[in-house]
Amino acid sequence: MPPIGPIIDRSRRAAIGALAAGAAAFAFWPSTPRSRRDIPHGRTVLSYWEKWTGPEGEAIQRVVDAFNSSQDRIYVQRLAVSDQNSKALVAIGGGDPPDLAGLFSYSVPQYAESGAAIPFDQLGLDPGPGFFTPAIERVLRHQGRLFAAPNTSYSLALYYNLDHFEEAGLAPPTSLESLADTAVALTRRAPDRSIDRVGFLPSLPWWWYYLWPVYADGLLYDDSSPDAPTAPIDSDACVRAFEWVASFPKRLGLADVRTFADRFARSYHNAGDPFLSGRCSMAFQGPWLANFARVYAPTLRFGVIPMPHAAGLPDPLQPRGLVECDVIIIPRGCPHPEEAAEFVRFTLRQDIQESLCRDHFKSSPLASLSPTFLSTHPHPGIAAFEAVARSPRVSVLPRTRVWKNYSELLLPAYDAIWAGADVRSVLSPLAARLRILIDRQQDIARRRSNGD
Amino acid sequence: MATKASNLRGWIWASPFLIGLALFTLLPAALSIAYSFTDYSLLDPPVFVGLDNYREMLADPALGRATLNTILFCLFNVTIGTILSVAIALLLEQRLPFSALARLIVFLPTLVPIVAGSLGWMWVLNADQGILNRALAFLHLPTPNWLGDARFALPAIIIVSLWSIGSAIVIAGAAIRDVPAALYEAALIDGAGPLRRLRHITLPMITPALTLNIIMSLIWSTQAFAAPLIMTRGGPQNATLTYAMHVYNNAFVFGRMGYACALAWVQFLATAILVALALKILTSLSHARPLR
Repeated sequence: MPPIGPIIDRSRRAAIGALAAGAAAFAFWPSTPRSRRDIPHGRTVLSYWEKWTGPEGEAIQRVVDAFNSSQDRIYVQRLAVSDQNSKALVAIGGGDPPDLAGLFSYSVPQYAESGAAIPFDQLGLDPGPGFFTPAIERVLRHQGRLFAAPNTSYSLALYYNLDHFEEAGLAPPTSLESLADTAVALTRRAPDRSIDRVGFLPSLPWWWYYLWPVYADGLLYDDSSPDAPTAPIDSDACVRAFEWVASFPKRLGLADVRTFADRFARSYHNAGDPFLSGRCSMAFQGPWLANFARVYAPTLRFGVIPMPHAAGLPDPLQPRGLVECDVIIIPRGCPHPEEAAEFVRFTLRQDIQESLCRDHFKSSPLASLSPTFLSTHPHPGIAAFEAVARSPRVSVLPRTRVWKNYSELLLPAYDAIWAGADVRSVLSPLAARLRILIDRQQDIARRRSNGD
Repeated sequence: MATKASNLRGWIWASPFLIGLALFTLLPAALSIAYSFTDYSLLDPPVFVGLDNYREMLADPALGRATLNTILFCLFNVTIGTILSVAIALLLEQRLPFSALARLIVFLPTLVPIVAGSLGWMWVLNADQGILNRALAFLHLPTPNWLGDARFALPAIIIVSLWSIGSAIVIAGAAIRDVPAALYEAALIDGAGPLRRLRHITLPMITPALTLNIIMSLIWSTQAFAAPLIMTRGGPQNATLTYAMHVYNNAFVFGRMGYACALAWVQFLATAILVALALKILTSLSHARPLR
């Protein structure tokens, strides 16, 4: 066996060397991190996680800057965070949350039910009923209590290319059925028969694949009986909506539409965007598209109308659609809830809300609009989004904790329908699976409330 | 003989690792066993549900698809990867011009971060403008929609994963160089041709290295996650949803940490059994130094 004395000596020398290097690094390490050098002395620093980057990030930063300069007690530090829901989940569950977290409104039931978000009435922040539009009230409240503040809201509408319509002598569609016919009429093929320009594709982009039932008055989630909610995704109305979706690959050719759509897999919201580049005559999109049009296609002439719904529905003049929100919550266990409430109160001011909405090209979540909001809004089609957002027939995403699971299960079903599978035979097993998930969730909620 | 003092010194020196292991590996692993019997969302206190999470696996259609995809991915990735790595290593060990450069080129993809590699491959495999389909079209061959068609998406992901077999090639190459030249000389004298030398000398002699490659590849394949997540998000029609993605979705997207823990433990046990089986079979085939 070799003598271990020299080995120990070497180890000791290495350890002392490492300790000395550590001490030197500690001595020379800046006492204030670079990110904190600009913070005025003596203020309470709030950490605010927000998802936005780019121009949208700059817009919310202007709100943060306005708040920071409006008083001298609190300093909000915004941190751009991707995959924010997962990160907030881990941070709150781990007991180290930020003071403010920017999330999407579909997360509100999960955070509210689990007590992960502080209800605003505890912080004197609830502006009371009637402050927000009815749909926004529905997404921000849980069992009557307000858990989140809106940080812009959005609905979806149909953009159409004025040049394409004028050239073809067509009028904007008035129903889902006429939309499909118009889409086929506007589609152009290359000499090799591949699609060169498409009139409309529900999967371009595919982001709102779960939303089509809304346009046939189908319910994604029925909580009219709170103790026994259901997900009637295989109802006749939902089947009708997805059959409409399936009609596009059937009429235009599955391989052709797939190849065409695949071209744009990474080309949304830039110069290669199918609508902005003139390769798609109609696009189902949010208000932000006009913001990107201003940058990437300034000469594009387009109109915006509420997305048409299926023919023969009641109240045909009332638009259907979806309203959702970007929201701010104050997480349970955050270091400075009172100061965070100060910031949220600031963002709820009408001038601040409307300024952020204008910067994001979005409609307002507030019930009342300032007289100049619409006339000074940079989105030329904002009236269509406002009409959807304020319609009594507008929908919100299912207010259930299983929604993310639900939407993930619906995606392969949508893919299968798009690929030609029989709609009802795809949706029926999905409805059965959702039944299990919802029942289980209800059971767990009951057991939690019983203290099991 | 070690004295008490030297033992103590040993424990002290090892303690940073041991404390880290206990805090960041053993304790979370133990907790995850406990959580697998609960409904736990990270935000609420866990509720004991007994074996419900394990029972639910039997009725989870997405899990069935994820398991099948992972088995197929493992099967093809390990088999093709092993054959390719040995073949390329054999080629690189021939005294060919520019073999050092070729070795560098083969190894380079392992240095590319998986996210960057996956994004690059998305363009290569793009149905309309991708270089692969352009080449196939030039040769008048069919041009599949690699990532958009459920029939081709998983094979496409397997091709992408085979791109980074550089380290397996390096290990196989080192083992090939280590085979005693005397064995080849003796075989030549006995009149053995190249294929017989490969079958009766090279392969048996490099079995320990192959065992290492296969085990590493097997473990890595059962955990396939980043490439399918980036390239297809598990679609189309769950054709590329892997087991690890299903665990991640349940834990961090659906907020079902208890179910995810149960899934993870089943995955761990299945992987451990697979690895033990593979190790046993491969060790029994080994003609050279055993892998222990």
